[in-house]
This record gives sequence, C-alpha cells and structure tokens, in this order.
Amino acid sequence: MAVSESGAPIIDPMKQFMVKPLFGDGKVEGFLTITNSTLWMAIAIAAVSLLLIGGMRGRALVPTRTQSIAEILYTFIRSMVTDILGEEGKKFFPYIFTLFVFILFSNLVGMIPGSFTSTSHIAVTAVLALAVFLSVIIIGFMKNGAGFLKLFWVDSAPLALRPILALIELISFFVRPLSHSIRLAGNMMAGHAVLKVFAGLLGLLVFSGMGPLAVLPMGLMVAITGLELLVACVQAYIFAILTCIYLNDALHPGH
Amino acid sequence: MSNDPGPRPGDRKKRLDDLEQRIAAARKSGEPAPREDRDKYAAMSMAWRITIELAVSIAVGATMGWGLDSLIGTLPAFLVVFTLLGFAAGVRMMMRSVQEDQRRRAARAANDE
Repeated sequence: MAVSESGAPIIDPMKQFMVKPLFGDGKVEGFLTITNSTLWMAIAIAAVSLLLIGGMRGRALVPTRTQSIAEILYTFIRSMVTDILGEEGKKFFPYIFTLFVFILFSNLVGMIPGSFTSTSHIAVTAVLALAVFLSVIIIGFMKNGAGFLKLFWVDSAPLALRPILALIELISFFVRPLSHSIRLAGNMMAGHAVLKVFAGLLGLLVFSGMGPLAVLPMGLMVAITGLELLVACVQAYIFAILTCIYLNDALHPGH
Repeated sequence: MSNDPGPRPGDRKKRLDDLEQRIAAARKSGEPAPREDRDKYAAMSMAWRITIELAVSIAVGATMGWGLDSLIGTLPAFLVVFTLLGFAAGVRMMMRSVQEDQRRRAARAANDE
C-alpha cells in the first residue's frame, strides 16, 4: 500500500484499475500492447479451458467433480437459452455460453487479491455489448428483412401515437448496449473500490494506534468479499440472460 | 443360491415400491427450502437494472437531441424534446423489464408445481 510522507497509508481505491503494459518501458504503444488486462483475460480463458476441456476429458457416465461443474454450467445456460429463445435459439447457444463463461471467469479471477479485473473496464464490457448489439441488428435484418423495423412500429398503439412511440423505441434500442456494458463494469468496479476503501481504512486505524477497532472494517471486508463473489456470478448471468432477451427481439421482432 | 429362494415376486414388487417411496421422500427432504435472501438479491439487481436503464435512456435521448440540434442549428429545441422522449423510453423499458420479470417468475412457479 502507498504511504504518505508522514508514514500514514494513502487510500487510493482507483489505483487497482490502472492498465499497465507488462513489457517495454511502460508506454502503451498502439494496438498490440500486452497489458495486465490482457494477461488476466488470458488467465480467465485458460481457467475456462482447463475446466471445460480438462473436466470433460474423462467423459465419464458418473461425472467427477470437475466434470459435474462443467456439466452444470452447460445445462444451466442451455436451459436458459431454450427457455427464452425456443428451439431455434440453439444456434446461438455457443455464443451465449462463451460470453457467460468468459465474463464469469473474468469476474472470478478478479476476486483473487492483487489481480486485475478486466470486466471492471467499460472498454472491455462495451466491446462485448457492442458485439451483441451488432449481432442483433445483423441477425434481425437477415432473418426478417425490413420486417425487423416492426420492432419500432407498435401496432397496438393508435396511429397518431406511433411515430412518437417509434422514436421512443429507437432510443430504448440504443440504450441497450450502453446499459448492458455500464451495468457489468459499474458493478465490478464499485465492489472492488469499496473493498479497497475498507482495506485502506484498516491501515489508517492501525497507523493511528486504534488497532483493535480495525476488526470492524475487517469484518465488513469479509462480508463484502462474499457479496462480491455473488455479484460476480449474478452479473455474468444477467449479461447472458439480457443477451438472450435482445436476441429474441432479432428473431421475433413483433411485440 | 439354490437353497435361498429369495422373496416371492409379489413381495419383491412391494419392496421396490416401498424403496421408491423412501427415495422420493429422501429427495424431498434433501431439497433446499426456497431462499428468501436470494429473492431479495434478485429484487436488488432488478432495481439497479431499472435505475441504470432510466438514467442511460435520458442521457441517450439528450445526446441524440443535442446532436440533431448541432447539425441543424436549433440548439434548445430538439435537446428538450429528445430528453423528454428519452425519459419516456426509460419508463417504457422499466415497464417492460418488470413485465418480463413477472412472466419469468410465473413460468418458474409453474415449473415448480
């Protein structure tokens, strides 16, 4: 932890979100700089591969522990996709499952002390959300042609109101990628910043000679860590389920 | 083997039925009770979702209006109209999210029956 001149610890909750190049002289150079964000995304992907490829290697009828975790993840997302998108949604299952496990593992490896949470950056979540947004538009026009525009034309409303409603629908359509990415990044960032603030508080209390009082922020940190683990899983789930809901609009644009 | 005739067929059927019932009972007792705190957490994330959607849709509406204004040069006019439209879009999304949530809950309750 950083220390000021008088020796008091400095609380700097946002420092953990700094993107730093791992090699070279510390400059971010263009497109292909390997940063700590890259590293932790790669670690998340390696962990996913280890669980899914390594866990399923045995293909045992009676699954081992790792294999059951992989199977539970698979069937969980599978049933979610078929619940929302129906049978024709099975085509999109690989995409949604990839999104889900990548976000889940990025969130979870971010919970390791000293690690970097790549999903706490809008830059990362916005790319994921934009990919969903663009695929909804492309799939929508490919499947329905101009009929996709019915999404904005509310048939059940009186004719005079429809142009205004179309504008409203258009705005809410463009809100989706934004709220989709802000929600994930915001949740991850807020939780980690709060953890850091309490950790700093603990340092300050010990420094100012009120050591025993430090039990309070310590206890809170334990509780928040538990909550953050829950948030890490739930946010990955919410991202996946919203992807399904948006894709459903592309498949069935009528309301 | 031959000096152990085993249970008579009818007897065996009864014992199997018995076993089935015991397994069903054991399954039921092993099932976790529906947890309230999970529902509470779901409600919280729902509330966050609605809040973010509402805030973002006002911002998107305002940005669209401002962009139109700076293209045409009628500064406050479209900004005001589109901000209001953005708010309306936020409310509409809120209503739809709640509807979706209720539908999902109903479907889940029907599944549990």
